[in-house]
Amino acid sequence: MDQEMTPAQSMEVIHRMIVEAKQSAQRSNYYFLLWGMLFALAGLVDHVLHQQGITLHWLVWPAMGIIGTVGSSVHGAREGRRQGVMTMMDRVQMWLWIAFTVVLVLMIVLLVAKGLDPNPFVLVLTGMPTFITGMLMRFRPLMIGGLLFWVIGLTSAFVLPGYSSLIFSAGIVVGYIIPGLMLKRHEDGLRTT
Amino acid sequence: MAFAPLDPVLHNQLRLAVVSLLVGVESADFNYLLAHTGATRGNLSVQLNRLKAAGYINVKKTFRENYPNTSCSLTRKGLKAFETYVEVIKGYLDT
Repeated sequence: MDQEMTPAQSMEVIHRMIVEAKQSAQRSNYYFLLWGMLFALAGLVDHVLHQQGITLHWLVWPAMGIIGTVGSSVHGAREGRRQGVMTMMDRVQMWLWIAFTVVLVLMIVLLVAKGLDPNPFVLVLTGMPTFITGMLMRFRPLMIGGLLFWVIGLTSAFVLPGYSSLIFSAGIVVGYIIPGLMLKRHEDGLRTT
Repeated sequence: MAFAPLDPVLHNQLRLAVVSLLVGVESADFNYLLAHTGATRGNLSVQLNRLKAAGYINVKKTFRENYPNTSCSLTRKGLKAFETYVEVIKGYLDT
């Protein structure tokens, strides 16, 4: 790869390498599926434990949060090593989700301290990074997932308040798991082309 | 008609390939560049040093899980040189 080039060959090298760099986009479906399954399950377990009068029913949320954080960190480190490249898009998405997580935890602490049910607020907040990620990736199912989080979050505050954990689980299924599965199919397709 | 001279640092297939890859990413490690350019380790190493000496790329050497890891990123000077190179090449192709 060291010989003299004609202008046409130069343009061909530039074009080929820019296409190569574009194809190295990070795979994101793992995070949506992992967090989606953990929190959909957390909502169900929380509802059942609450119905049975168990006072520490809320412990399922931080437990799932810890499992998700460990799973995401291990997977992220492994993917970073395998990929060997960091794009601007990767960095924007990474910091968007880190900032979201910080706000999420602070918001839950404040809401619980004030005696409010955090589920509708969590759904509304979760819609934001989901929608932005969908816009950044130009992936419509995630954009729709973000919109659904907003709609379900808003309605869950007024409809069936005693079932907010179950509604939360349903919101996670339509906002994370279904778009995550579609994203997996999309990203698997990109990998094989 | 006189053509603008081409930047000799970039007018080399491997160096141009490396810079073109780095234009699209924040940073890339040695193995990524190796896999995507199809170069040999030795040649890639030499050309990265040429790009670094010209101030076109930053090279950061670290250790990752006890193995040396070389990460490269494009400098502002490198990006400017790449943009100028593309403009000059376009001039050649348009005539």
